[in-house]
Amino acid sequence: MTRSRRLGAALAIVMTMFAGTGCAVIPVGGPFPMEGAGGGEELSKPFQRMIAVPPQRDWDPVQVVKGLQAAMAAYADDPTVLPAYLTPEAARAWRPDGPVTVIGNAPQFSYESKAGGKEVVIKLVGTPVARIEADDTYVPASSAAQEMEIYFTLVRDQQGAYKVKTIGSGLGLLLTVDDLERAYRPTNLYFLAGPPAAGGVMPDRRLVVDRVWLRLRPTENFAQTIVRRLLGGPSKALHGAVGSVFPQGMSVRSVRSGDDRVVVDLAGPIDPEGVFADGLKAQLKWSLNSNNMANGRTIEVQLDGEPFFSSDSLTVPANWREEWLDNTVKPAYFTSRGAVYSLNKDEPGNAVQGPAGQPSEHRDMAMAESGDLVAARGRDGVGGIWVTRIAPDGQWEQWIQGARLTAPSWRRDGTLWTYDLANAAVIRCDPAAGRGPERVAAPGLDGLDVTSLRVARDGVRVAVTIGDSEVRVGAITGGAGAPMLGNFQTLTTVVDERITDIAWLDGERLLVLVQSKDEKVQSVREINIGDGETTQLPTGKRLKSITALRAGSAGDRILAATEDSNEILEFSKDKQAWSRLVTADQGKPFFPLG
Amino acid sequence: MPATRKKRLRRRTLRQILGGVRRRARRAAGTVRRVWRRSLQLQVVTSTLVISVTVVVVLGVFLSDQINKSVIASRQASAASEAFADRVQIADALSQQPDEQAKPSDSGKNVPANPLDGVMDTITGSVEDGSKKRYEVLVLNPAEPGASRASGNVTPKNVPEALRQGMRRQIDKLPYDKPQRQQALIRFTGEAQPRLTLVIGGLVSPDSGGVYQVYHFFPLNEEEQMLSNVRLAIVVVGFGLVLLLAAIAYLVARQVVTPVRLARQAAERLAAGKLDERLKVRGEDDLARLATSFNEMAGNLALKIHQLEELSQVQRQFVSDVSHELRTPLTTVRMAADLLYDSREDFEPMAARSAELMQAQLERFESMLADLLEISRYDAGAATLDLDSVDIRDVVLRAIADSEALAERHSTRFELRLPNDPCMAEIDTRRVERILRNLLFNAIEHGEGRDVVVTVGADRDAVAVAVRDHGIGLKAGEETMVFDRFWRADPSRARTIGGTGLGLAISREDATLHGGWLQAWGQSGEGSQFRLTLPRAAGVALKGSPLSLVPPEIEMRRTWRGHMTPVLLPASGDGAVHDEV
Repeated sequence: MTRSRRLGAALAIVMTMFAGTGCAVIPVGGPFPMEGAGGGEELSKPFQRMIAVPPQRDWDPVQVVKGLQAAMAAYADDPTVLPAYLTPEAARAWRPDGPVTVIGNAPQFSYESKAGGKEVVIKLVGTPVARIEADDTYVPASSAAQEMEIYFTLVRDQQGAYKVKTIGSGLGLLLTVDDLERAYRPTNLYFLAGPPAAGGVMPDRRLVVDRVWLRLRPTENFAQTIVRRLLGGPSKALHGAVGSVFPQGMSVRSVRSGDDRVVVDLAGPIDPEGVFADGLKAQLKWSLNSNNMANGRTIEVQLDGEPFFSSDSLTVPANWREEWLDNTVKPAYFTSRGAVYSLNKDEPGNAVQGPAGQPSEHRDMAMAESGDLVAARGRDGVGGIWVTRIAPDGQWEQWIQGARLTAPSWRRDGTLWTYDLANAAVIRCDPAAGRGPERVAAPGLDGLDVTSLRVARDGVRVAVTIGDSEVRVGAITGGAGAPMLGNFQTLTTVVDERITDIAWLDGERLLVLVQSKDEKVQSVREINIGDGETTQLPTGKRLKSITALRAGSAGDRILAATEDSNEILEFSKDKQAWSRLVTADQGKPFFPLG
Repeated sequence: MPATRKKRLRRRTLRQILGGVRRRARRAAGTVRRVWRRSLQLQVVTSTLVISVTVVVVLGVFLSDQINKSVIASRQASAASEAFADRVQIADALSQQPDEQAKPSDSGKNVPANPLDGVMDTITGSVEDGSKKRYEVLVLNPAEPGASRASGNVTPKNVPEALRQGMRRQIDKLPYDKPQRQQALIRFTGEAQPRLTLVIGGLVSPDSGGVYQVYHFFPLNEEEQMLSNVRLAIVVVGFGLVLLLAAIAYLVARQVVTPVRLARQAAERLAAGKLDERLKVRGEDDLARLATSFNEMAGNLALKIHQLEELSQVQRQFVSDVSHELRTPLTTVRMAADLLYDSREDFEPMAARSAELMQAQLERFESMLADLLEISRYDAGAATLDLDSVDIRDVVLRAIADSEALAERHSTRFELRLPNDPCMAEIDTRRVERILRNLLFNAIEHGEGRDVVVTVGADRDAVAVAVRDHGIGLKAGEETMVFDRFWRADPSRARTIGGTGLGLAISREDATLHGGWLQAWGQSGEGSQFRLTLPRAAGVALKGSPLSLVPPEIEMRRTWRGHMTPVLLPASGDGAVHDEV
């Protein structure tokens, strides 16, 4: 090779290198196979916090009280500022524990004594909104509650600055709605249906939601806060009614994002070999996913930073399809002249087989989960609860006797529940166990005028109406052998209105049909039983009864029967309007259970 | 005292260790220096290494600095604009009238009583469908209750003190709001390690009153991570580049050095007399041309040497032939001259004087002819030694006895410094005697009547005889010339002892034939000294001489004058001395 030729070859190589590498900063190319990208939800949602500032010397008493309230809002994050607002005695006496009181925004402040005096009393007037209990339950204030008045006594200290000497009536932390929205997030926790079993296998692979309001902690991600609270067990409303795979004394070390997974690192006295692993997976997955944490990501559970099982890790795949919530689509039914018809999407279906499909004088039909048993109240004068199989050879049988019984309600375990108004007792009938009607203890209902009883589709919650102005929600506690109703708490009370019907949408939301006393205004309220969050649905025609079903991806179905025109209507959430489905003579729509 | 002794022992040990370490270090340094000085390749590679390291370090620092600047600057710019947008949003929200705020929105959602909450929700992304921002915000208004907010886990304590003070100073200067930024390592609440964070502080003074300090916290850990990756890449690439350059330099240097080394070896062999040594010529480059030139030079050199050798041979042969040829007529002339000399008393005085003169010059002619023959024997390589183990003192005494007559004529006395023990050596007595006679005659001739000192010395390997005179001495540079044939210091001076001009040359050849040295020392006005050193055993190489070439008194005088450099001429065998005329 001659010298010039060699030079040419070298030049060509250099040019090729330049062309290949030097021209493009970011080369164009592809497609290439990608590594599994760690997408999915963050483990924390952005939030803002109140920053407490210490009181200024030139502040007037009202400013000091406002500052104190702000410091209360920031107390959980920074407890060092609040004592600066208090006199030393008050700082020693005041206790931040106990329920958190939530009042409406922009409370009113007024001087109760002469401004500028040695001791000044400031009155705070606010609308009570809610209370957050120590178990993180959100208890909405009754709509009938009075304005709240809180008195603050202030004195000047040696520097001439005002300090709070007394805070009215043993008040703990006082937050406004804004403070609450900043610092708390409504959170659904999931526990296993059925009473807690001591290490045994849970009978029902089903989850029950427990709604709490959790305070965001700046030092940990929200997922960790959720898991920490989940380990703490259910709130009072479900105490004794649900179980958890996590024994007491468990703690969470961290919840962190891995490459394609969320790693939950636990610590505590759990027995990896004996634990109900599917229950653990379900509790963690639904508690995180339903709060938009770790969606679409595998969850790996570790124990003390090691794989959960000694030989293997415990992971919940992102596509774990097992259904632990009752979200199955169930057929709708309606009654017309005492006969049960299936209700297809837009047209009346056929009457069901057997006597249930025949016109009768039975009222308030209810269908068991299996769809093969219908229960109804007997006609006036006969009473009792009658049950028939949906089969050509079915026959109406009286299961429960009693002249004044509430409409029957099936539980998902196949038991039939009703309330005997005459004897003021809850009656349960368990055909599978071959036992007749028996009374169920319900200490929370003693002496109350129970007018209806509905067992929720999760098989744990129970809603009752007291008179026609109050709805209470409780739970079925105790083992299968000796169930009882307990944990009753008021869900809603109405003033100048009356409650005409209730229906479970799912285990979390209850629909309440309310009518004003003057019969003019009617409304359907969808109430979250966890925190009383209410959504009002519009009504057009006068409604007589409602029923509802949450059917997974199919969305919520809400059906109602009109009072005057004998129509079955369905509510469309998109259109926010009711549309007519079928005509039914003196009929009611219903879904299995609920 | 035992303790002191112990301590001293330990100290000595330590000193010894240090000394040992120092010695080893010095030796290693010496080795390295030697290797360095001898290897051109090492020098080239080392130089390349040093230069490329310097260049790579300078370039790397510059590059890293530029990348740092551009990344940080762009981050700072985007952060500043984001912070500015947020401040504008906050100012807008806070400047709205309270009644505007209080209007319930269509969505039925709770509208915050404090507009700050609304705008903070927007800024931090706390609103529904909001996404998490990369930064955190702190709005601080210590003068109003409940008017401070923060996102994430920042607290007022996280604001660097200098920035906070800068903001406080600005509050007084409103409306000359100028945002400030600071980069600091901040440890946020609940975090174990501090994070590098860019904090931007600005003031918002809405129409509704109050001054809000707005701090934005931008994490710089991603940038830091990226920059540290870049720096690592630069270091790795730089290191690789340096190694690559060193390897290239090694290869290139080897390409050049290998032919040079071959040429050096060839030159060495050429110098050692292998005149047929040649280099291989490959290609046409400079090295090939060097090899060609070297080969031509070697060829020419060999030719010239050969010619010179031939010429020299011819000359020697000529001298030898002439000497031999002259001998025959000279013998006849001698016989006739002897006849005339013997009958000179019968001649006229004039004729008698002529006969004496002729006799004397004939003797000189004969001895000159003898010397010429002797030296031509040496030139022909025909000189041999007749070795005998003798006491050198005896040889010296015999030579002195031979010189007595001449010494008396010059009123010169001998001072003898002989050792008491015999100084035995294997020598050719005839030749050594001839050397000594020559030296003694020269000393008497140039000693100007002063004493001649004859010293004999011996050690394990060698014996030496030094002959010292105190005559006019030698000029600088004459120490070697005295041994040249027919050399004379002052051509105008007449020869008084009838020397042939070949005496010292022959003596040198004699000494060399013994494997010994004949050396001269001289100084103007200080006289001169000749030293003959011979090995005790024939064939053993000399390592030194038992006697000093410079006379001891001269040496001492120099030392006293502070000249601490004794003149020791290299024992090359070339000495100096007087002309023997």
